[in-house]
Order: sequence, then C-alpha cells, then structure tokens
Amino acid sequence: MTETSTADHQDLIAGLTFPTKRDEAWRYAPHDVLGQLSFGPSVGSAHQLPAALDANIPALTGPRIVLLNGVIDLERSDLAALPAGLRLSSFDDAGRDRPELLATHFENDADLSTDTYGALNVAFGRNGAVVHVASGHAIDVPIQVVDISLPDEIGRASCSGVVVHLEKGASATVVETRIGDGELGGSNTRTTITLGDQASLDHIVLQDVASTQVHLGRIRATQGAESVLRSHLFNLGGRYGRVDYDVCLAGEGALVDLTGLYLGMGNQVLDQQITVVHAAPNCTSRQSFRGILDDQSTGVFNGGIDVRPGADGTDAEQSNDNLLLSDRAEVNTQPRLEILADDVVCKHGATVGQLDSNALYYLRTRGIAEAEARRLLLQGFADQAVDTVANEILRSWITERMQRYGD
Amino acid sequence: MLHVENLTASIGGTPILNGLDLDIGSGEVHAMMGPNGSGKSTFAHALAGRDGYEIDGTAMLDDVDLLDMEPEARAAAGLFVGFQYPVEIPGVNNMYFLRTALNSVRRARGETEIGASDFLAVAQEAMDLVEMKRDFLYRAVNAGFSGGEKKRNEILQMAVMEPRLAVLDETDSGLDIDALRIVASGINALRGPERSMIVITHHQRLLDYIKPDFVHVLVDGRIVESGDHTLALHLEDHGYADFVNHDLDDAPERPLSGAAR
Repeated sequence: MTETSTADHQDLIAGLTFPTKRDEAWRYAPHDVLGQLSFGPSVGSAHQLPAALDANIPALTGPRIVLLNGVIDLERSDLAALPAGLRLSSFDDAGRDRPELLATHFENDADLSTDTYGALNVAFGRNGAVVHVASGHAIDVPIQVVDISLPDEIGRASCSGVVVHLEKGASATVVETRIGDGELGGSNTRTTITLGDQASLDHIVLQDVASTQVHLGRIRATQGAESVLRSHLFNLGGRYGRVDYDVCLAGEGALVDLTGLYLGMGNQVLDQQITVVHAAPNCTSRQSFRGILDDQSTGVFNGGIDVRPGADGTDAEQSNDNLLLSDRAEVNTQPRLEILADDVVCKHGATVGQLDSNALYYLRTRGIAEAEARRLLLQGFADQAVDTVANEILRSWITERMQRYGD
Repeated sequence: MLHVENLTASIGGTPILNGLDLDIGSGEVHAMMGPNGSGKSTFAHALAGRDGYEIDGTAMLDDVDLLDMEPEARAAAGLFVGFQYPVEIPGVNNMYFLRTALNSVRRARGETEIGASDFLAVAQEAMDLVEMKRDFLYRAVNAGFSGGEKKRNEILQMAVMEPRLAVLDETDSGLDIDALRIVASGINALRGPERSMIVITHHQRLLDYIKPDFVHVLVDGRIVESGDHTLALHLEDHGYADFVNHDLDDAPERPLSGAAR
C-alpha cells in the first residue's frame, strides 16, 4: 500500500455514513449484523484453508486467480500457459504496465459518495484480479476468480476487486466464486465489467460465504454496441448475502441477460439490488430471478429498469418468482421502472407461492417418496435458473450445493 | 385382486362416497360411469391417497389395505392412477421423473434400480406405445403439453410403471378422435391377465375402443347398477335418468342388451 493510496482512501471514507433502514436499497438488510463489520487495509494471511472451503472451489481447470482475505494467493492461483489474447493478472501488475485498465474501477465517481460499502471497497480493496481479452479473441476456457474470506485476528471483512475488460469482438467466460469461513467478517467485492462493441461475456457468480458471514458484492457493467453480457448469480451463502448489479447499456443494440437464484434458510437475508440503464437505442435487457426461502429467511429483489431519453426501441423484461417453504419466510419484491423514451417494451412480473401441493401429490402417486418429491420440485424450480449455465462442472457444483439445502 | 367395501369419503363433512362396494378380479377391465358429481374422481383419488378426505372402509389391493398407506406406498403396492388433469411440473424433465418414479417403486419392493441406459429402452418401448417422439422425454413433465399429449403421457407412465391395478380417470376427456385412438390402443396393449383396470368415463365413446368386462353406474357415491358392456350402450341412449332421483327399483334389473343405438 503506497502513501498515495492511503491518502486516497482517507478522502474516500471521510464523512461516510452507513445506510439505514430508511434507505430503500437497504431496507431489509440486517443492520445489527452489518454494524459488527469492520474494514481496514488488507493484511496478508498465512491461513491454512479449511478442507471444506478447498472442496467448495469448483473443480474447473484453467486460468485462476485466488484472493485470500483480499490478498493475491499465488500458490493457489494458476497463471501459467494463458491462452493467446488473455491477460490475467493482479491489480499490482496491471497498475505497472496497463494502469488505464484500473481507472474505471477506482474512479471516485458520484456513486461512491452515496455507496458507503463501495467507498470502503475502493479505499481498502487495492488488490484484485484483472481479466483482459484483446480485441477479437475468444477464450474458450473458463477464467476463475476465487475470493476467500477468513476472519483475521480482528474479524475484519475483506475487500477485493475484479476488473473484466473485453475489447471489441472478444469473448470469454468468467467465474467468480466467493466463499468464506468463520464466525466473523465476510467479503466486500467490487467487479467492474467493460465490454467493447460486439464483445460477449458469460459471467457466473457463486456466492457461498459461511452462514455466519456477510457478503456485499457490487457488479458494475458498461456495454458497448451489440455487446452481450450474460450474468448468472447464485446467491446462496451468508447471514446477509447481497449482490448489486449496475448495468449500463451504452452502445446501440447491446444485450444484458441477468439470471439469479437465491436459496435462503435459517435467518439468512439474501438481497439483490439491480439497476439496468438503457442509455442507447435498441438494447435488450432481461432480469430473471428465482428464490426459494425456508425457515425465517428473507429474500429481496429490487429490480430497476431505467430507460433514458433517446433509448428508443428498448426491449426490457423482468421476472421474479419465489417459493416460500415456511410461513415465517418472506420475500420483498419490487420493480422500479422509469421510462423516458418512446417505442419501449417493458414487462415485469413477480410471483410468490408455495410448493405446489398438486404436483407433490402427483409425484407421490408415481411412487416417489415425499422428501424426494419435494426435492425434485425444488430442483425443478431452481433448474430454470441453473440450466442457463452452460458449464457442466458449474451446474453440478450448484446441484450438489442444493442437495445440502434443507438437510 | 381389488376388494372395496363400504368405502366412504367426505370433504369437510360433505359426504361424497357413501358406502361403495366393488370387487375386481385379476385381468378384468371395469368401466365406471356416472353423472357429474357422482364421486367418480373422488373414488380414484381416495384409492390414490389424496389429502383432504375423511375416509372410511376398506380397499384391499391383493392382501394390503391401500387406505392405510401413503400415496407412494400405494404405488409400490401396484396402484396407478391416471389423472383427469395431469399436473404440469416445470423444470422437471420427463425422463428423469419417469426413471425416479420407476426406481422409487423398485426400491420400495426391494428390487434393483434400473440404470440410465437400460431405462432408455424401457422408455422407448412405452413411447412407441403412445406414438410419442423422443423429444417428449426431454421436455418438462406435462409443461406446455397439449391436452392429448398429457393424456398420452399418463399412459406412457402406466406403461413404465407396469401396475397391478390402473385407475384411469377420464383419460378420454378432451381428446380428439386421433388421440383417443392412440390412448385407447395404448390401454388395450397394456391389458393382461395380471393387470386390472378401472376406466372412469363419461362417454360410451371410449368403450367402443376398450371393451370392458363390467360396467358400473355410480350415483351419489354408490354403485347403483352393474352390468356388462351393454349397460354402457343403454346409458348412451337413455342417460342416467333411470338411476338418478328414482327408486333403484326403477332401474333395469339387467342392462338391456342389444338396445337399439
């Protein structure tokens, strides 16, 4: 950490106030739990990885960067033999020869003055992974970024970043796995995605920190003309697991397709705050999120579609479907639509229901025992999100994780 | 094979079945007819074990009383109920569902489970029976199926499950003439000396294809008349009037065989 960045972060966090229940985007957050978090500069960690955590990293081979408590863990990373056109490096390395790649990520924009955890991330999350794909290159192996949070001596939450930049016509698959263990802390991550014209990114986020931890993730994407972003969020872990998407469709004909699944149990609060901005004409956006909530868990879907003046020919759809398995579970679903252009198609719909007792009965008349029938129905509900993931290893990771759900 | 005695069923205190008696021998096909609201579907679901009924009486399938068992145990005992309104299950693949069902009953019976590739052969044979294409297996169970496809899927499931007793609840309703022919020929192909069937229907039409050994008329939750297939022809011509709101003495002692159609 250089003197300059220390000075920067002092500026960033001076005068910050934490959100409260009165802030719409933080209305359902467990503020008592958030109040126990502390943040600070990343400290290196000599932690042995608990075996269960190691096993929770998807068994993908190929390029990989592992961050442990916000510090690059070279031993667990794999940066050898990168495919042509791919740059995968730490922030530090990128800062030396391609500092412009980091500019957007650390930009002290207006948002940071109202986004306290974002400002803390930018202040303290000076480490991270850069994925850069040169113009016209198609990377066909999935690129992994694994973020692991183990509490340090004072129980701090880790801060880290991911920068994904695909130049014009490039394509790649990036898998962000966010896991952790321990009674305290958690992770605060910030992902900055920039897609050049006609670039195409498949982006998978597996959020599965310990049920005692907090995960705060913010994903910001800016898309060029005719670019395609497909992001698949599996928001599974944490006492509070939250992922914010801010997507700006800046070039004509861009497409964003956000799919999400959240599975809550115990007293988990799983929160997705989404804003898709249509800033250019003829762009398409999809938001399809599904939740299963058991015990006294809470799901939050706050999905915004913001169609700017001039973004004519916008085609936007949003859906949020929920299953409540317990009468103490709850979901709060809210669409936010702001349409300031002409010739716009904007659809949204939300459902909240229980496991279909007719379907359960139907399966049981076919000899399928009740517990298995319930599992089949839940899997069927979830599969409509899971099946959007092309990679079979990732699909089985999610399916196996689901097997543990409710056990 | 099936011995039903004094079966009663009510929902929230409203009686629907009022002491139904029925005996079915091995390999027999019985048609059950009756006006709307006479309790035909309730009879099927009382046998299958749907929640929400207060049930009394006995329903012995071979040597076990179905009424004491969970729905899945009834299936393992050899009961199959074809639904009038098959349930759509989005996200659950038909093939996976069928194999899970078959292996669930095999496991419950202490038999070995069937592997994915062996199962494909079983499924293929069943699909041929109801003239279904292969992609049918990879679609979600009944989701977006046409009425005819749903009913064919019921017969497909019956073919895979190989039940001892199949109760088919209005399997012919909502079918056009081609689908009816396919469903009926599927049912006929599954007849056998070890398999009995109860075919619940409103219409004689189905019985032109599936000739029952016995026909029963259900009125007010009770069987008020039984006969051979000619009873169905009589009903086609005269409706249920002979059996509804009349003393049972008014009903023909025997069905009028050879009644003009």
